[in-house]
Amino acid sequence: MSNDEPKTDGGEPKTDGSGIVPQDDQAPTWSERKERTQGLARLTYEYFERSRREDEDLRRASDYVERDVLAFPTWPHEMIRNLAITSFFLGAMFFISAAIPPHIPGPADPNSTPAVILPDWYLYWSFGLLKLTPINPELSLLGGQKLMSDRTYGVLANLVVVGVIAIVPFLNKGSARRPVEEPFWAAVGVGGVIFAFTIAVLAVQNLITDLLPMTSGELFVLTFMLPFAFAFVAYSVLKTMREGYMFELNRRYYRLRPPK
Amino acid sequence: MSLERKDEHDHEGWMETKDLSPIEEVYLTTLIWLDKRLRIVDYLELLEDMYYKTNLQMPKSHTEQYNLDNKFWYWYPLYALGSFSTIAYVVAAITGALLGFYYAPSTAAPSADAAASVAYSNVLFIMGDLNFGTFLRSLHRWSAQVMTAAVFLHMLRVYFTGAYKEPRELNWIIGIVLISLTMVFGYTGYLLPWSQLSYWAGQIGVEMALSIPLIGDWVAQLIFGGFTLGEATLQRMYILHVFLLPFVVTLVIAIHIGIVWMQGIAEPH
Repeated sequence: MSNDEPKTDGGEPKTDGSGIVPQDDQAPTWSERKERTQGLARLTYEYFERSRREDEDLRRASDYVERDVLAFPTWPHEMIRNLAITSFFLGAMFFISAAIPPHIPGPADPNSTPAVILPDWYLYWSFGLLKLTPINPELSLLGGQKLMSDRTYGVLANLVVVGVIAIVPFLNKGSARRPVEEPFWAAVGVGGVIFAFTIAVLAVQNLITDLLPMTSGELFVLTFMLPFAFAFVAYSVLKTMREGYMFELNRRYYRLRPPK
Repeated sequence: MSLERKDEHDHEGWMETKDLSPIEEVYLTTLIWLDKRLRIVDYLELLEDMYYKTNLQMPKSHTEQYNLDNKFWYWYPLYALGSFSTIAYVVAAITGALLGFYYAPSTAAPSADAAASVAYSNVLFIMGDLNFGTFLRSLHRWSAQVMTAAVFLHMLRVYFTGAYKEPRELNWIIGIVLISLTMVFGYTGYLLPWSQLSYWAGQIGVEMALSIPLIGDWVAQLIFGGFTLGEATLQRMYILHVFLLPFVVTLVIAIHIGIVWMQGIAEPH
């Protein structure tokens, strides 16, 4: 065949329709196609097959009752209860809105700074984190200068708080669910909640120092000490409760099998 | 040989062999008639498949296995907090859409002698002159407050019942994204009336944005439309509040709830 000859993939093109042949049994099925794939698609296929088999094996080995609904049925159990609670909740919200309409402050005036600048209550914690100036470290290496400005430090503190919350599930694993089972993590939670409150109080420190006999320095110390205090109390209480549970369990055990 | 076309699957013959009630006969005839034209059976099969996939075969739940239902009920309100925040979100969306008819995000003065901006006087109009306007704005504001509060409490519930654990890490992180977005939603809404509080809260926002290292200037430009507050700021807050965030937050809520649906509710142990 010389090079200048035009090439088609099927020789002469046929115009009478005889080139179209019906698929025979040789045509691959979808599962055969999947088996023949290469690379990532092939891996995906293999993994899916494996996990499906694993799933089946687990199910066969399990002595649990097989039922046709999810663990706690969304319909109707959850939905009916949610409907009842929702109606009540909506009613409450309408009532509050009718009873307590919002207050409108005066129009924006760039020329007069108000005595108290505040965001909505749910951002107090973030606003409080902007006021961490006293604990922005001064590095002796830099000749007593601060590594970053106080404002940057505050914004960074926000990110740190959110980041810490985000990695909790990767630090705390296992099947324990109750606070009693893990006093440490429950105490961390209690400390966090208290800190959210105290740091919010720090955000409105001007008001607090006017209201209570307390300097802003004392308030600052309390902001960080109170969460630890509460966490410590929570830890001891839960630990004691756990001992109590263990005592009960042991007592039952030794009643059944008294030590020789 | 008859010229009449033989039915390959003789459904009518099959129906005659059965002893059908009139209702069943009408039903089957209709179904066959429609199916011949529209292949309904295929779609029914799809639906059936979907049904079985959404109602997965799962082992007996912990609550059932240890018969904890009698102890579970008084925890239930805590397990409805996520639901509450969603409902409050829906209420806020509806009232917000209604408020949108009467509000324009402009800092310009409505007339030469007026001190307040168009935005502020619109809010005054809603509160003062519009029928049910006070109630509408009140409901919008309260639903936002309630949503934020419910989201906070929801997060606490999830933390203290260990519901964020192993298969649910991803949803915990999505939840953190959602609570942050909720607060951004609240913040942008807080700025919209362009009152004295709004203005100075915006001022803090600009300063926070500016103090981000390296990209602070860009962030301030992007979100607040400049380094000082003005028309651009209000318009950006407005677009964030009524256009961008609703789509994003609704989508993320749908994913969040979808994952809860798939993984099942983490029950108390």
